[in-house]
Amino acid sequence: MEYKVEAHRIMSISLGKIYNSRVQRGGIKLHKNLLVSLVLRSARQVYLSDYYSGACLNAQSEREGNEWDITDSEREKFPPSATECDRVESTEEPQPNEQPEKEREYRENDDEVKSDQVDCTSTLQEQNQNSSLDSVAKVSSETPPESITEPKESPSDSAVAERDSTPEANGESHQPPKPYVCSNRKRSAEESESGDSPQKRTKVASSNAKEDEEAEEMDTSNVSNLITIFGSSFSGLLSKESAKPEAEAEDSGQICCDQMLKNLNPWSTAIVAF
Amino acid sequence: MCGGLRAGGGGNDVQWCFSQVKGAIDDDVAEADIISTVEFNHSGELLATGDKGGRVVIFQQETENKSQPQCRSEYNVYSTFQSHEPEFDYLKSLEIEEKINKIRWLPQKNAAQFLLSTNDKTIKLWKISERDKRPEGYNLKEEDGRYRDAATITTLRVPVFRPMDLMVEASPRRVFANGHTYHINSISVNSDNETYLSADDLRINLWHLEITDRSFNVVDIKPANMEELTEVITAAEFHPHQCNTFVYSSSKGTIRLCDMRASALCDKHSKLFEEPEDPSNRSFFSEIISSISDVKFSHNGRYMMTRDYLSVKIWDLNMENRPVETYQVHEYLRSKLCSLYENDCIFDKFECCWNGNDSVVMTGSYNNFFRMLDRSQRRDVTLEASRESCKPRQVLKPRRVCAGGKRKKDEISVDSLDFNKKILHTAWHPQENIIAVATTNNLYIFQEKVN
Repeated sequence: MEYKVEAHRIMSISLGKIYNSRVQRGGIKLHKNLLVSLVLRSARQVYLSDYYSGACLNAQSEREGNEWDITDSEREKFPPSATECDRVESTEEPQPNEQPEKEREYRENDDEVKSDQVDCTSTLQEQNQNSSLDSVAKVSSETPPESITEPKESPSDSAVAERDSTPEANGESHQPPKPYVCSNRKRSAEESESGDSPQKRTKVASSNAKEDEEAEEMDTSNVSNLITIFGSSFSGLLSKESAKPEAEAEDSGQICCDQMLKNLNPWSTAIVAF
Repeated sequence: MCGGLRAGGGGNDVQWCFSQVKGAIDDDVAEADIISTVEFNHSGELLATGDKGGRVVIFQQETENKSQPQCRSEYNVYSTFQSHEPEFDYLKSLEIEEKINKIRWLPQKNAAQFLLSTNDKTIKLWKISERDKRPEGYNLKEEDGRYRDAATITTLRVPVFRPMDLMVEASPRRVFANGHTYHINSISVNSDNETYLSADDLRINLWHLEITDRSFNVVDIKPANMEELTEVITAAEFHPHQCNTFVYSSSKGTIRLCDMRASALCDKHSKLFEEPEDPSNRSFFSEIISSISDVKFSHNGRYMMTRDYLSVKIWDLNMENRPVETYQVHEYLRSKLCSLYENDCIFDKFECCWNGNDSVVMTGSYNNFFRMLDRSQRRDVTLEASRESCKPRQVLKPRRVCAGGKRKKDEISVDSLDFNKKILHTAWHPQENIIAVATTNNLYIFQEKVN
């Protein structure tokens, strides 16, 4: 899956940039680091979502077949354009649906870390079932404010519902037999579009621990490569005093990663090192 | 300028000619010589440049020679001085670069000229004055300054002023230090001629030109928890006529207009200018390329222009939901964003400028190309600043970039562009069709062709 390689590459490049900025003359440039952290976050979402879609691809083949009918308006994030990055992503059809949701909600909640959570959530939702298609369609066609406030909207909920890895999970989109990672555990009530059934939310809450473990297991191998590459770099960073600009640049690097990655040990080691 | 020049106008019926180039010729560029800012003064007679080495060089336009209509006034070096030195912040173990981020001229009040220059942390007010006579005939001192033995003095004389070779002196009159925690990206002199603003990534301060030990913070977007930081301030400017109004742009592509009469702290904007994102252009790098690198008010104060990575937008101050005009600077780069991210070019901060009557705007690009965008005629042209077009009065030929497919003759393909040759800083004479274009370490001056 080329886009996974591409996302991984962009993540490596981004981490490299963040590291190099620490040794650049003139101190850390907050603006550049913020932008790089945004790209890092996007790449990571793509990377992880790719991973999960791949892992559950077999089980989901039936459902995903429906998703191939997604309208063009939903292929917002990665239209089959000429960009090297975009091209690889557009090969994975669920992909385009995730990103508009992510982008919109990110822009909406620009003061909230939970936007990251929603984003991560939304990357997963697209692999969901038919009902999620409707909600996705709604999301894609609505303006940002509406997508957040729309009570019937259930993209996040679908994600909360998790992806059903078994074919038995039917059109009822909110069955979470196989929990997904990251954002779900941090979701606050206001994020989950209110169309949720209470039952689903409860399930989410209870399955958090399970999610984390599974996520960690799945993620560790991929992340550890990155850590190995940058391991020696990060150790030096840990000893840096918390000078204000540095702390803030570190924090800006942490913004997008922190909440999502807290429970992923290898990642948190890397990011906390910033 | 000699003879019949159209003042301030010009677009594509204007032909641009090479006039001068300043700077070293060799390709090996010393980092200290990299030009980091260019600015004409209010009359256009003086042209200041700042570089990475902390130096300011001021060029002065020669007075016209009316007896020779074909001659063009040239800009010659008027003054050179070291404005900022590298510093070390011992508390934070950080080196502070001496690079001059911005220069802004003050309107002239007397014989001397004043400008503000800033690096990442400190703003300085410089006085540039001329001295063309000196006193001679002191009683107690020799001409070389040594004191005479009082016992040898037998007569008294009155010292007189005698002419001397013109000397231009630059002296720092004010140093505005310790006002900013983050890197200063903009300074802007107020139309009241008493105050100016300075902006860093998260805060904007208002200073009085006479007072250096304190400033007022008027905008502060630092979140309580830095982990929640999502946008930074990228540029700020005072309105050219309304001394209570200023704008600042953000890394998210928004511009906020603030009115200082509304409250002491202008965290709440009076107007928010933002264009909804085009969903069909989404990519990993959408956020980076929407970050605004420069914002400039038009001379008449009715419009403002913003520059993001790929486009220039003109905004009507009365319409917040979208720009009135959008110009693509180098749309052919949209498919190359990933490579431009890798080589850091995507973070380049291009500036933009208006011509004297606000009919044409100009901005830079790569391969030493720069773009002239004619608002009134809705036409644009791409020109190149190169040593190959350096014959006196040589007319610049329009350049074309071939985005894909068959490359026509005289076109250059996107893959052949030199991304190390970037024009980030340009300036337009406030009244005449004279432009200053800075390549990496050279300053090109182009003028309108005079027939």
